[in-house]
Amino acid sequence: MTLLTTSPAASPETSPTPPAARRGPADLLREVVRRPSAGVVGLLVLICAVMAFLAPSFLTYGNWYNLAQQMVFVALLAIGMTIVLITGGIDLSVGSVLGLSAGVMAYLVNQGMMFGLCLLLAVGTGAGLGLINGLVITKLGIPDFVATLAMLGVASGLLFLWTGGVPFTGFMIPVYDTLGGVTPLAGDLTAPILAMVAIAVIAAFMMRRTSFGRHAYGVGSNREAARLSGVDVARVRIAAYVISGTLAACAGVLLAGRTTAVAPTIGVGYEIQAIAAAVIGGAALAGGRGRILGAVLGALTLTVASNVINLAAVSPTWQSVVVGVILLVAVGLDRASTHLSRRLGGPAPSP
Amino acid sequence: MSVSPLSRRLSRVFAVEGVAVAVIFVGMIVFFSLASPFFLTGGNISNLLIESVIIALLAAGMTFVLVVGGIDLSVGSVTGLSAATTMWALMSGAPLPVGLLIGIGTGVLAGVVNGAVIALLGVNDFIVTLAMLSVGAGLLQVVTSNVQLTGVESEAFLWLAGGDVLGVPAPVLIAVVVVAVLEFVLIATPFGRSAYAAGIGPRAAELAGVPVRRVRFGVYVLSGACAGGAGVLLASKLNSVQSGLASGYELTAIAAAVLGGISLAGGRGSVWRAVLGALFLGTLSQGLQMLGVDPLWFTIVTGLSIVAAVALDRVVGRIALSRLLGADPSTPAGPSDGPADPGGPTADAALENDDPRLDQPLAGSAREARTS
Repeated sequence: MTLLTTSPAASPETSPTPPAARRGPADLLREVVRRPSAGVVGLLVLICAVMAFLAPSFLTYGNWYNLAQQMVFVALLAIGMTIVLITGGIDLSVGSVLGLSAGVMAYLVNQGMMFGLCLLLAVGTGAGLGLINGLVITKLGIPDFVATLAMLGVASGLLFLWTGGVPFTGFMIPVYDTLGGVTPLAGDLTAPILAMVAIAVIAAFMMRRTSFGRHAYGVGSNREAARLSGVDVARVRIAAYVISGTLAACAGVLLAGRTTAVAPTIGVGYEIQAIAAAVIGGAALAGGRGRILGAVLGALTLTVASNVINLAAVSPTWQSVVVGVILLVAVGLDRASTHLSRRLGGPAPSP
Repeated sequence: MSVSPLSRRLSRVFAVEGVAVAVIFVGMIVFFSLASPFFLTGGNISNLLIESVIIALLAAGMTFVLVVGGIDLSVGSVTGLSAATTMWALMSGAPLPVGLLIGIGTGVLAGVVNGAVIALLGVNDFIVTLAMLSVGAGLLQVVTSNVQLTGVESEAFLWLAGGDVLGVPAPVLIAVVVVAVLEFVLIATPFGRSAYAAGIGPRAAELAGVPVRRVRFGVYVLSGACAGGAGVLLASKLNSVQSGLASGYELTAIAAAVLGGISLAGGRGSVWRAVLGALFLGTLSQGLQMLGVDPLWFTIVTGLSIVAAVALDRVVGRIALSRLLGADPSTPAGPSDGPADPGGPTADAALENDDPRLDQPLAGSAREARTS
């Protein structure tokens, strides 16, 4: 929670601290509302409060342990997506890149290749596809939406061709059981959860404390100004797509370990969930805004939403209706908190 | 630097977005007709047009949204849901006009919700329409899991997608009329002009008295209505509606619009360009089918050709423009002396930024302007 309480240092327009003469309740409310993640945290608390009444099993350790296991994949994709969104781009290919990387992993393990090498090649596939996205967008000048949409078609098509419609199976060697979280590392701690936490911490550090992070926010807020102040805009944008591809591949490797099979349709539709999680977490599609912790919370919100449907015994056919409505409420809350902080006066949060 | 009049004229033509794509389109038709003797037969062409009608309708509606600088991701699932409500109404014994009204009304209703939340509450368009995608697909699933939607026996309903008038397929005729009306609305009515103004600069348009919110609301309703119409045609064509129908059509429609040279940053585009893009994609998949290419390759080839076409269009346009500017900097590609360009404001936008195609960051800043 320390990430939540520090001001966005990497953001180009750091809001000046308000004069702390007398701190009344309005000041406190303003402080809370102005946090970039206020909307999503409010929504989570709301859902949890409702669920605690509806389903007694919701607030149990076992259920939250399951939630943590389920949210890993969307969380990893959402972290990558947030970085791309911060630079002002969008990556529609993450779901299909996830699938193709998972396919590479499963295939190579089945070929009996050394496990570490398989891992490296699978993650490398994701990084490579991300690099292609970045190059096509910056060097050929193709709109990001179109370029990554094309990559979605190409990568998912390749996986379909390669598998011939038959899922890859039989790759679950003991090491993979550990990596996929089938066997825990120690106690209840599993590798996917550990990986998610580690990656989130590294990404948050990178976006706040390194020059890459500062440049990314700069490129997203005002590309021309960033270029004039000497930032290599193309390189920052390419790096964002490479990171997004790499994280998609990591999610793919972990997802293959969890499902113990790589179906040709693995990862389909994940890009939408990743974008939704990032936006629920406060990332703006216009660029220059977004937080890693927000992305993780956004992923948690989506996972809790589908959990709600299971626990409240709603027919699963209603699932996407409920997810859509929750998405709308989340953005509405974000809007409301911005309005509220403006009404309460003081400088607005960084755009 | 002197440039011959011919190359100057050529440069001027190719400086217009989408022209290079049109040339590739013609090349593709020539290639496919050489490769397969059946490609240029009447039956195949009418098949191809029928296949393209649904995407063309969606892309035409999407054009309005893109011109205003928005995006509508919900059109695919709304198409599916409209198909379902039409089928449901007709199977419950409603007369045909009522069934059609219910189908199109479903689309309009979705558009009204989209438009109200986006324009009146000011929530981000991408997220709102994404949520509507989710809701629409979910409702389709709920409807289809409760009722079996198949086998309407109304001749008149099936005629919509299967009949013909003097040899011209009915759906093509319907699409031509709709597209012509939409093109007229976009380029010749105050609503259309306001749409361009709102897309180029919302704040400036607002100050100039353009009802930006109303226009923004209107384009989503229009896009929803197009999706409703597409849903009715799709239901008539398949005479059966399953869960997941038309999912992913939104991306194809956007791809078609972009292929036609419509900018996602807003302020530019016209309906015929989007239809050209839809025909491009339809021809590609029909041609590949005729050549006996494994359908598994379709998504790959489509993805690659979209990138190739857009990249080529950009490169050719950039070269043409720089030659024009090099030849005579005082006359950039403008509306008065340029080639006939129905998207008049497109050229106006070009004048305003004097060189939009060389100016990559423009897209980013325009997106910022509309969302902030």
